[in-house]
Amino acid sequence: MADKPSGKAASVDREAKLVDPTQGIPEPSYSWRGLTNEWGVKVLPGAHGLRLGDVNVGSYGEVPDYWADQTRRPRGSVGRPGIPPLPYSLRSKHELWADCAADLYEEAIQRRWIPATEVPWDSLEVLPVDIEKAVCQMCTELSQCANTELEIITYWQDRMSYGYFEVKQYLATATFDCARQQEVLRKRALSNGGGLGIESRGRVNRIILESSGGWTEAVVYLYLLRGTYITRLLSGLLSAAHNEAEVFIYSHMLEDHARHLTYGYDHLKYASSHGKDATLIMQTLLAVGEGHMAAELNEGVVSTAMAIIFGGGIEGARTHGMERYLLLVRDFITDYLAICQELGIEREKTLHPVFKRYLENE
Amino acid sequence: MSEATEIPREHELDTSWMDNMAEWGVTAKPGKRGLTLADVQIGSYADLPAISDNMTGRPRGSTPRAEAYRVGAYQVHTLSEIWLDNAEYLYEEALQRQWSSATDIPWHTLKPLPDDVEEAECLLCTFFNEVEFVAGDVPARWIARTTPDYLEARNVLSAQVMDEARHMDVFRKRALANGGGLMRMSGATSGFVGSIDLARDFTEMSTRLHISGEGAVLTMFRMGELFGQNDAEKTMYRLCAQDEARHVAFGVMHLRCLGDTAPERREEIECYLDEAEEQLIAGQQNPAGRQSESSEALAVLLGGGSQHYDEGHKKLLVIRRRQLKEYMKRVISAGFTDRFENGRSPIPAQYAATA
Amino acid sequence: MMVVFPSEEWFQEVRQAYNSDQGLHSGGGGACDTTAGFKVGEYWYFIEFEGLECGQVRQCTEQDLEATDFILEMPLETWQAMLMDVQANGKASSNLTLNSIDLEFEDGIARSPIDDQYRQDLFYRYNQNFQDFFDASSLVETTFESQA
Repeated sequence: MADKPSGKAASVDREAKLVDPTQGIPEPSYSWRGLTNEWGVKVLPGAHGLRLGDVNVGSYGEVPDYWADQTRRPRGSVGRPGIPPLPYSLRSKHELWADCAADLYEEAIQRRWIPATEVPWDSLEVLPVDIEKAVCQMCTELSQCANTELEIITYWQDRMSYGYFEVKQYLATATFDCARQQEVLRKRALSNGGGLGIESRGRVNRIILESSGGWTEAVVYLYLLRGTYITRLLSGLLSAAHNEAEVFIYSHMLEDHARHLTYGYDHLKYASSHGKDATLIMQTLLAVGEGHMAAELNEGVVSTAMAIIFGGGIEGARTHGMERYLLLVRDFITDYLAICQELGIEREKTLHPVFKRYLENE
Repeated sequence: MSEATEIPREHELDTSWMDNMAEWGVTAKPGKRGLTLADVQIGSYADLPAISDNMTGRPRGSTPRAEAYRVGAYQVHTLSEIWLDNAEYLYEEALQRQWSSATDIPWHTLKPLPDDVEEAECLLCTFFNEVEFVAGDVPARWIARTTPDYLEARNVLSAQVMDEARHMDVFRKRALANGGGLMRMSGATSGFVGSIDLARDFTEMSTRLHISGEGAVLTMFRMGELFGQNDAEKTMYRLCAQDEARHVAFGVMHLRCLGDTAPERREEIECYLDEAEEQLIAGQQNPAGRQSESSEALAVLLGGGSQHYDEGHKKLLVIRRRQLKEYMKRVISAGFTDRFENGRSPIPAQYAATA
Repeated sequence: MMVVFPSEEWFQEVRQAYNSDQGLHSGGGGACDTTAGFKVGEYWYFIEFEGLECGQVRQCTEQDLEATDFILEMPLETWQAMLMDVQANGKASSNLTLNSIDLEFEDGIARSPIDDQYRQDLFYRYNQNFQDFFDASSLVETTFESQA
């Protein structure tokens, strides 16, 4: 510590530099007045208030295919030369865009919910141990999925150019949704005589987090592949909910998740129609990803937990519980193939053999 | 590629995980404020590791698996780096106090304004757009870098990302809703050394973002009730100020916690404060800073038009004085009092000079 | 029934009005937990917000407010001007909101009894709830001490 300059000595120069005792009123330059690209814009609120998409008028609504500006210049404002660039690496529209982003942003705000006070926690009742364990294991698993989603979104968020701020705005809501999902699942696991379960091995979490080539690649895994499966899991959990608290939790998570998938699918649609070789790249990614997803599906933890929940206990899990889970996976793969087809990604012919086996299950 | 190609034989269950649950028998009960994050800090689930070894993204307290993939190279994995004592409380508060720029602002109260006033408001909105961009981008980046063991603190940052998105959106809406438009960017928030952006340490970032940056902006937002020309603007600024005060609270409480738990870092923090104070007084990032375009716009708004610029400027000086006072008191609240008494900080002298 | 401001009875009436109608809680005025004090003329009042409700409000001594987060203190005539405006308009006009009044005074109207800015900042964090509370007084027929 002895070699550091004393605070006192160090402050003297700064004081001399910073303190301006005159504090007179400087003559305004007004150099900023009149500096606008478009003036006279007047947007009135509609039946749903003044929404983000409403102010996309005139030049302010023009979303370029490429946004070269690496500063934080708000879209439509006047630039200023000489501003050092920031590391915004996603500067092409096809790398992140979805037409629905502005609407989803407003929808997320309107449909916000509060786990602490809106979930009817007093409806929880003691469940048989095997069922409680299964519910808690699913909370652990889904919490880790939400964590992965949170981490991959926030990894990319500050690399996205401000030319496409609607997407950044929407992703801010998705970030908050993911935090809330982790919160509510933790609360459910720790409020009914149970506890958390065992962590996921994380095969699919890994491919999502390691998809660092671009945001679109992450979206392929996060939403098209795994997200489609999670929708089915949440629907299944909702249909087998044990009390009003679980009904509330799963139904609201499902709403949030549906919003995320809407963005994801819409972005992939945009990317596949505007990005060079985009569908072929997605096809390759999915061929690899299906293998990891298949391996994860074959692991016994989630399938057994879901079968117990569907079967009303271990005994039921061995019969109709597991059958119902297998149908859930079949439905997921059916959904997945339908979306791939809609996006123009060929998957049916070269579908992973494990996926095919699930499809054949009746 | 896949490590398994066969579907598990139907109706055979793997129940081995049922013997590997984490602490069992936990029953958190909702209190008067519902079931809060604080309520589920219970048993071993409340244990916060001083150094997190969580490399797999598992929820805190769950059972680790030896074969799990190490996908989380978390830069922030020491508790003192990010913790604050009321994180769970701030997060719940953020959830409770969300609002909608589309429907909670009385947009119908906007009325045509004289050109100089509209331009001044639009310039300020353009500036605040940039400010909110930083305040959203940077915390997001740190979420991905922070171990999920510190879930509560990370969730507050997630709420901040949401808040800042809403702020950016409300200022854009205001600029485009009343016959004006966006104006010239300030560029003040770009990545200069010593800026919020480039900090490579969380506390360094938080000191600049939450305490000096947002602290100054908080005063500005509160002033919005003075310079706002209609209920829409006044409401917009008041609601933004509430959120901003929560972000400032994060910074103050984190700094207080760090000062208590990592005293070896105090001198380093003092240096961050030195830089932050230089910027607070002179920097372009402070809209009430001297002779910036935004300060001219503020003077126009505070005066009620360019014809009353001098009067507005005098009010601006009062704002600046208040910024300095509140900044000092926040740093004192965070436990860094000495710098204002031993002459290290230029703020007391600056404060006295503005009397 | 006319009630006199300032009085504990008046604050109780306002509390009842505020708690009984969620419509009086505007956007951005969600749940909060804080204790505060009001200095009105020679009187002191204690108020507590718990979640979405005003938990209690009562007359007290200055010493009773030492543990509160912040105290709002302004001249009696300013309190009256603010509340008359609320009575006339249903809610505070722009230049007579708590926040606006706070800004008109060089040192503000909010102070922490232990001079802790973190706690004083709660006035800013929960500003809308306090505003909604006083706006609820539009539903309480009020007479002022000087008039009474």
